[in-house]
Amino acid sequence: MNKNIYTPDLAIITKVCDEAAGIKTFTLEFQEPEIQKSFDYRPGQFVELTILGVGEAPISITSSPVNKGYLELSVAAVGKVTQALHLKKEGEVVGLRGPYGNGFPLNEVKGKNTLFVGGGIGLAPLRSLINQIFAQRGDFAKISILYGARNPALLCFMNDLERWTKIENSEVLLTVDVPDAKWKDNVGVVGSLLPKIDIDIENTVAFVCGPPIMIHFVILDLLRMGFGENKIITTMERRMECGLGKCGHCNIGKSYVCLDGPVFSFQQLRELGES
Amino acid sequence: MKKVLTTCEFCGCGCNFYLGVEGGEIVAVYPSFSHPISQGRLCIKGWQGHEYIHSPERLIAPLIRKGNRFREASWNEAYQLIVDKFNQTRTRYGNDSVAVLSSAKCTNEENYLIQKFARACLGTNNVDHCARLCHASTVIGLATTFGSGAMTNSINEIEGADVILIIGSNTTEQHPLIGDRVLRAITKGAKVIVADPRQTQVAKLSSLYLMHKPGSDVALLNGMMNVIIAEGLEDKEFIAERTEGFEELKKTVASYTPERSAEITGVPEESIIEAARIYAGSKKSIIVYSMGITQHTTGVDNVMSCANLAMLTGNVGGEFNGVDPLRGQNNVQGACDMGALPNVFPGYQAVTDEKMRNKFEKAWGVRGLGVNLPSQSGLTVVEMLDSALEGKVKAMYIMGENPMVSDPDLNHVEEALKTLDFLVVQDIFLTETAFLADVVLPGVSFAEKDGTFTSTERRIQRIRKAINPLGDSKPDWKIVSELSSRLGYPMDYKSPREIMDEIARLTPIYGGISYQRLENFGLQWPCPTPAHPGTPFLHKGSFSRGLGKFSPASYKTPAELPDVDYPFILTTGRISFHFHTGTMTRKDWALDREYPKGYAEVNSEDAKELGLRNGQTAKVISRRGEISLPIRSTEAIRKGVVFIPFHFAEAAANKLTAANLDPVAKIPEYKVCAVRLELAL
Amino acid sequence: MKLLNKANLAPFLERLRPEFEVVAPLYEGQDILFGDLDSSQLATDFIGKPRLSPKEYLFPQRERLFTFNVCPESIEIEAHFNETKRVIWGVRPCDLYGLKFLDLVYLKDYIDPYYQARRANTLLLGLNCNEAEESCFCSSLRTGPFAKEAFDLLFTDLGDVFLVEIGSRAGEKLIEKGANLFNLATSKEREKAKLLEEKSKKTFKTSIDLGKIKAKIAAASDNPVWAEEAVKCILCGGCNWVCPTCQCFNVEDIKAGHKTQRIRYWDSCQLGGFTQMAAYNSRAAQAERLRQRIYHKFSYNPDKYGGEIGCTGCGRCTDVCPAGINIAYILRRVANE
Repeated sequence: MNKNIYTPDLAIITKVCDEAAGIKTFTLEFQEPEIQKSFDYRPGQFVELTILGVGEAPISITSSPVNKGYLELSVAAVGKVTQALHLKKEGEVVGLRGPYGNGFPLNEVKGKNTLFVGGGIGLAPLRSLINQIFAQRGDFAKISILYGARNPALLCFMNDLERWTKIENSEVLLTVDVPDAKWKDNVGVVGSLLPKIDIDIENTVAFVCGPPIMIHFVILDLLRMGFGENKIITTMERRMECGLGKCGHCNIGKSYVCLDGPVFSFQQLRELGES
Repeated sequence: MKKVLTTCEFCGCGCNFYLGVEGGEIVAVYPSFSHPISQGRLCIKGWQGHEYIHSPERLIAPLIRKGNRFREASWNEAYQLIVDKFNQTRTRYGNDSVAVLSSAKCTNEENYLIQKFARACLGTNNVDHCARLCHASTVIGLATTFGSGAMTNSINEIEGADVILIIGSNTTEQHPLIGDRVLRAITKGAKVIVADPRQTQVAKLSSLYLMHKPGSDVALLNGMMNVIIAEGLEDKEFIAERTEGFEELKKTVASYTPERSAEITGVPEESIIEAARIYAGSKKSIIVYSMGITQHTTGVDNVMSCANLAMLTGNVGGEFNGVDPLRGQNNVQGACDMGALPNVFPGYQAVTDEKMRNKFEKAWGVRGLGVNLPSQSGLTVVEMLDSALEGKVKAMYIMGENPMVSDPDLNHVEEALKTLDFLVVQDIFLTETAFLADVVLPGVSFAEKDGTFTSTERRIQRIRKAINPLGDSKPDWKIVSELSSRLGYPMDYKSPREIMDEIARLTPIYGGISYQRLENFGLQWPCPTPAHPGTPFLHKGSFSRGLGKFSPASYKTPAELPDVDYPFILTTGRISFHFHTGTMTRKDWALDREYPKGYAEVNSEDAKELGLRNGQTAKVISRRGEISLPIRSTEAIRKGVVFIPFHFAEAAANKLTAANLDPVAKIPEYKVCAVRLELAL
Repeated sequence: MKLLNKANLAPFLERLRPEFEVVAPLYEGQDILFGDLDSSQLATDFIGKPRLSPKEYLFPQRERLFTFNVCPESIEIEAHFNETKRVIWGVRPCDLYGLKFLDLVYLKDYIDPYYQARRANTLLLGLNCNEAEESCFCSSLRTGPFAKEAFDLLFTDLGDVFLVEIGSRAGEKLIEKGANLFNLATSKEREKAKLLEEKSKKTFKTSIDLGKIKAKIAAASDNPVWAEEAVKCILCGGCNWVCPTCQCFNVEDIKAGHKTQRIRYWDSCQLGGFTQMAAYNSRAAQAERLRQRIYHKFSYNPDKYGGEIGCTGCGRCTDVCPAGINIAYILRRVANE
């Protein structure tokens, strides 16, 4: 409680790998083992990442709480901070504050089917939830994962996707908008995969994450399929700075995306006037 | 916390605010509520535009070129190198082989010293500054018609006008506190007519908007005058008593029928007629103009046509009527007043006038040194660069200017500057121009020195030192003095106050100015004596030259028109968040966050025809160069016209512009040149 | 309640100087701004409020949060708190309410330690308003012209004497410091104060119907007033800079050598860059941003903070606007008047 809410803790980059074209995944460990041990987070939450001398940016956590001892962040270089991050190597130090945000509802979907629809790097926060669910496989019913990107070079987390396909009572369907010569799977937007799955909509909760346009159309499709507004869960993107409801940038209606989100149900979004 | 009252360093409105100082840093801004112009209001630059002062990129020590890089040096070493090089150059090639560029951002005292330095020390009249690029047409056009080239009204009078004709001025974005007065006038029932090829914010708020073709201003104004005369709306009494040359004017505008004007300008006949009737229908009609009028090869003609229109209807020389050129920089009016111009001493006293030269020779004590002040007018900004390429100008001293982004035809500018044997640049950041220098001298911002700025309404106001110069930098007036002394012409001023006392003795329009008298928010010139209260509006009773001179102009096309290869008109300009070459504003987060990158404004129909989407990157190409930048597709610009703000060095609009000059004013035609657009792959 | 002769105000504040930094409305040239008492003339003979609220003593325009010191062996983070003991005199009821509101923002949920350090060390001496200024409408929001809470001491100008109410133990301790300067108030003075309050309420030229606004605001997203007024806005941010309840800030890291300072600055929701993201801007139109400012104060914040209105009715935003955008006019349009 005495800790300054604005000062980051230091963390070391222990691994950097190229996730996809223009996207890298960084594995981080807090310098202080105590902090690492006590860093509790839920899938869907984010951290505020500091690149020393450059600035701070909110990044969603893509590892799962079951992965002890480290954090993973998958990042595209789109701004000042993320561009600086992409130049960092193993052993370099960054700052982390968090975790912030509300996280995905996990207990509420126990016993239900889950449908994940991800686009591009939007799969990152979903991956955290998916791996958490797979770690507690017995508590959940059928798992369907629909994932797409603009082209094959932009597909992320291929290792996880391959692993997930092999798990019982789960299915993974992939698609790209623009295929290359080697592409053998579906071609089309990720929403075009929806008719290809067979799920019991009444008992399914859908999680959608990706570019705003994609989310918009997929949610329309899901509503048309009969999903209830409170059974469609997505993440809201807004310019965020403090991450804890003070600086005002992410204010929507009476909510702050960093406090009451970034995870919202479609019903909540509609009530905020954001649909 | 200390609060220091000072004048804004950005535009010509001349707002005042307090800088809050704590721990040697500027940490707050408070508007001045009792100030006659700002009245407690500021634009975003005034409120949040000062962070650059503490940027880690500030120059804090002299730099000397070493190959492709710079090394820090002591002031002694830097000065010695300059002295040696200047002496060598002048001995070998003559006094006029050195040219000086002064700064419209620096104070009156500094501008006065640098022109004195150029004339008395270096023996050359090659001194000019960026007014050449913005209001040179005004200085000449209004001097010809009225006898003096400055805003005739005070800013506060604009609120009381019944009719405001705004031509070529994006008032609410570029002179926000003048835009404020225009809006207040509207709430009081005033009619506002806006003529601009772009539908700017003030155009959207106007009563009548004329989207005329870039460069067709003479035709538009002559057309209005034609209507006024045809309908008998001219002020016969005013014309008879206060002007000369009316018959000439009548003859010239006779051929600019509404039909002909409509054809040239692209503005419907009815609108031209309506505009004329509205403007002539009141004795409280004010013309407000800026770059859209001045930055043309016909800049002087455009200005004179505005003056003609005002005189025709008796709308000048009274309160609430007049002709108001809006000066852009915080001290461009002052830099002109101080004679940082090749043809005049301070106070617009001609260098070619022997009586004037005698006066200054005596006052500046050069006779004792066996020197006469140079008697021929010197080179203007663009001419200096051309002269460098011709091998005549060998060395330059540039203070607070960035021609590598602000001058037309940048590839040409770069070539010219690189031809110089020796270049000294004095600035607060390592600008694109400083980057080419042999010696860089660190000056200071407006918050680190005392001095005065003169706003667009001729108001001379104090700036006051709030923090100490950063690092090893020095106030610009000190640098000029020290350099001059080392070059054999001693300058030993204890403070800017002393410099202003000298200015007052030699400059009639500043005759009554002293720091003590400026304490109460400054004084407006002419202020010829210590008892004179200053002058709110000009030409009351009689013009500066006696009778106003009608100076008719005929429509001439811009120098470079669109053709098959380059089918679009490029017009350059400004946005409210950045200032000129962005040296300061691109280091302020609040300003840079709004526009981190440049862009090109394209008419939405044109964009569709070109297959360009909003936000896509396009290549814009002219005969002189090309740049790539994202486009913004909009309906608020004339079809066939492309607008690019010139603030962004990496997508520099001036790579495309041409150094086509007004023959008398030598101002470049920034507002018209020909380009083509292509999709950038 | 106590009485303090007007002539004794300056001596009283001087008595506090050894222990406290005393802030009061001062004459800076011809302007009246809050300042440190030892630099200028104390301004007590004016009608109306200082042009900026005193919120910057708790939430500065520019505040250094901490410094990263990056050495080869270690990286240190040094936080900078301001714990100077401070007394602010002459805080009008609108500004008292503004600070009470900011306490909700900064001292709830995640506690802002910088605001907390300053707030814990600041005492507020309020001054009731006997006359409204042109754009004041605090009476419509019941945040003024006389304050009812959120002060340590509250002064009412009765003519040549102040009536002083005690609002906290800390305030009481200040009176003890001024001991012999204060007299006891009688019912006569309390009555006079009540009459002055009623008289003050009648001096308001601007008013709004808060009930109607609360009822209508939820449905006013598409009211044409947003676009109509926004077209004049020049994005100066002045409305936010002078507002007693505006809370938004931007954080920048500024590197010089091996030190990086993390500094926060006041930010403005009226600027386009406020909501700009890499791919798009969630409030791209000025009309949306103008609506955001009004809604944040009259709808969103009340929803979040248990009904507390996020506006004090001080009218400063109207005074400072170079485009003449008037908050009371907008609110009347929202209420469909």
